[in-house]
Amino acid sequence: MLRRVLPPLLPALLALLIFVALPMLWVVRTSFNELVDGAYMVEALSLDNYTRFLGNPWYLVNTLWFSVRIALLATAISVICAYPVALYIAGTRGLLRNVLMSLVMAPLLIGLVTLVYGWIVIFRGGGLLNSLMIALHVYDEPVRYMWNIKGVVILLVYIGAPYIVLSLLDSIEKISPYLVEAARNVGASRWTAFWKIVFPLTMPGLYAGLVIVFSLNFAAFAVPLMVGDSKTQMIGLVIYREALLNNDLPFASALSVIMVAANTLILLGMGALFGRLILNKLEVKQ
Amino acid sequence: MMRFDFGALALRGFTALMMLFLIFPIGVTLLVSLNPREFVLPPTGITFEWFRAAWTSETFLRGMSVSLVLGVCASLIANALALPAAMALVRCDFRGKAAVNLLLMSPMLIPTTIFSLALYIYFVRLGYGSGLLPLLVGHVIHVMPYALRIQTASLHRFDPSFEEAARNVGAGRLRTLVSITLPVMRTGLVSSFALCFILSWNDFPISVFLAPPGWTPLPVELFSYIKFQYDAVAAALASSLIVLSAVAMVLIDRFAGLRRVMRS
Repeated sequence: MLRRVLPPLLPALLALLIFVALPMLWVVRTSFNELVDGAYMVEALSLDNYTRFLGNPWYLVNTLWFSVRIALLATAISVICAYPVALYIAGTRGLLRNVLMSLVMAPLLIGLVTLVYGWIVIFRGGGLLNSLMIALHVYDEPVRYMWNIKGVVILLVYIGAPYIVLSLLDSIEKISPYLVEAARNVGASRWTAFWKIVFPLTMPGLYAGLVIVFSLNFAAFAVPLMVGDSKTQMIGLVIYREALLNNDLPFASALSVIMVAANTLILLGMGALFGRLILNKLEVKQ
Repeated sequence: MMRFDFGALALRGFTALMMLFLIFPIGVTLLVSLNPREFVLPPTGITFEWFRAAWTSETFLRGMSVSLVLGVCASLIANALALPAAMALVRCDFRGKAAVNLLLMSPMLIPTTIFSLALYIYFVRLGYGSGLLPLLVGHVIHVMPYALRIQTASLHRFDPSFEEAARNVGAGRLRTLVSITLPVMRTGLVSSFALCFILSWNDFPISVFLAPPGWTPLPVELFSYIKFQYDAVAAALASSLIVLSAVAMVLIDRFAGLRRVMRS
C-alpha cells in the first residue's frame, strides 16, 4: 500500500518539508545567534535575544501584554458581532442567504490593502464619518479613528468576525430543530430554549472560531502596520520591523519563538476554560 | 408572543447593521472611484477618469504584471502539487491518512508572520535573499492547502468507474488522466485555480516580507501609494481589485461552494 500511496503524496510533502518544516527549525536555530556590530550575524548559542525581550519590562508591557490584550479585545468584539449574525443566517434560505453569505465572506477574499483603503476614506480626520457627525452636530471636533489603537481593533474585528460566523454556522446547522421545538413544547420560553439548548451546543463552533481568530489577531502585523501608530507595537509588527528594517534576524527569530509559545499557552488556557464551560452547561441540561 | 417578535426583529436589525459594517468600506471605495468630484458628496455623475489614470499608471501596471505572473505561476504549481496528493487521499485508504491530511493543511494553521519570516531567513541563509524564488515559494505554499481542499471535494463526487472503464478498453494511466479524470474534474480545477489565483493576487503579508526590490506585487505597491496619498486613483485601483475578487468569488461559489473552502 505504501508503495502506491507515497509517490503521489511525495511532491507536496517534500515541498512542505523543504519550505515549511526546515525554515521553521531554522528560525529556532537563528534565535540563538548573535548580531555583531548591529549588522553581521554570527553563529552562537546564546540566550541574549530572549533575555533582551523577556528581561525588558517595556517590551513585556507594550508588546507582549499589549498584543494579548488587543487580540482578546478584538476577538471578544468579533464574537459579539458574529453570534447574532450566524444565528440569523442559520434561519434564512434561498437568495437572502446567498447574499448574506457573500457579504460575510467578501472580506476574506478581497485583499487587506483594498479594504484598508476603504476604511481610511471613511475614518480619516476629514473623512466621511467625521464630516457626517460634524454636520449632524453629534460632535464638533474631528475624532481620530485611524492610525491608533481604535483603527487596529476595528480592522481586526472586520477581518475576524467572518471566520467566527462561518464556524458558528457549522455548529448551529447541526442542531436539530426538534430539540428547540421539544423545549418549547414543555413550556420553555424562546429565551430559555436558546440559553439552555442552542447556546451550549454552539460552544464547539465558537471555540473553533475563537482559536482561529485569536491566533490571527495575536500574530497580526499588516493591520498595525497600516492603521496603527507608534503605540500599537504588536508583537507581529515588531518581528516585521526587526527582520526587514533593522535586519536583526536573531532577535526577530527569538520573538517568533516567544510569540508561538505565548499563543500556544493562551490557547491551552482557553481550551481548559471552554472544556469546563461546555461540561457545566451539559450538566445543567441533565 | 410579543417578546418573541421583538427578539426576531432585534436579530434582524443587528444583522442588517453588521452587513452594513461589512459592505461599508467596499461600497465607499466603489463610490469614490466613480465620483467625478473625488471625495465631495453627493456625486454629480459617473466618471471613469480615475480608472483611466489607475490603469495607465506605470507603477500600478508594473505591479499588475508582477502579480499576474506570480498568481498564475503559484496557482499552476500549487494545483500540480495538490492534484496527485488529492487523488491519493480520496482514492486510497492507508494508515495515518488523517495525519497526512493535517500535515498538508498545516500552512493554513501557521501565522503568516512566522511563515514569511521563516522563509525570508531560510532564503537569506541559502543566498537567494533577493531573487524571485522566495516570493514564488511563499505564494505556492500559502495557496496549496486551498487547492487540495477543493480538489479533494471535487474528487469525492467523482465516480471512479469512469476511469476503470477507460483502463479496461486499453487506455494507459496518462491517457486516462488526460481524457477522463481532468475533464471530469474541470469545474473543480477551475474554481481551485480561481481561488489560488485570487488569494495570491490579493496577498499582502507574504509579499511584503518576500518581494525582492524591483518586483513589487500590486497590493504592496498600493500600500506604498496610500501611505502618502489616498486619492481617487487609489480608489479606482482598489475598485478594480474588488471587482476582480467578486468575479473570482462567483466562479468559486458556482463550482465548489465558497463556504466549504473558506473556513480555516
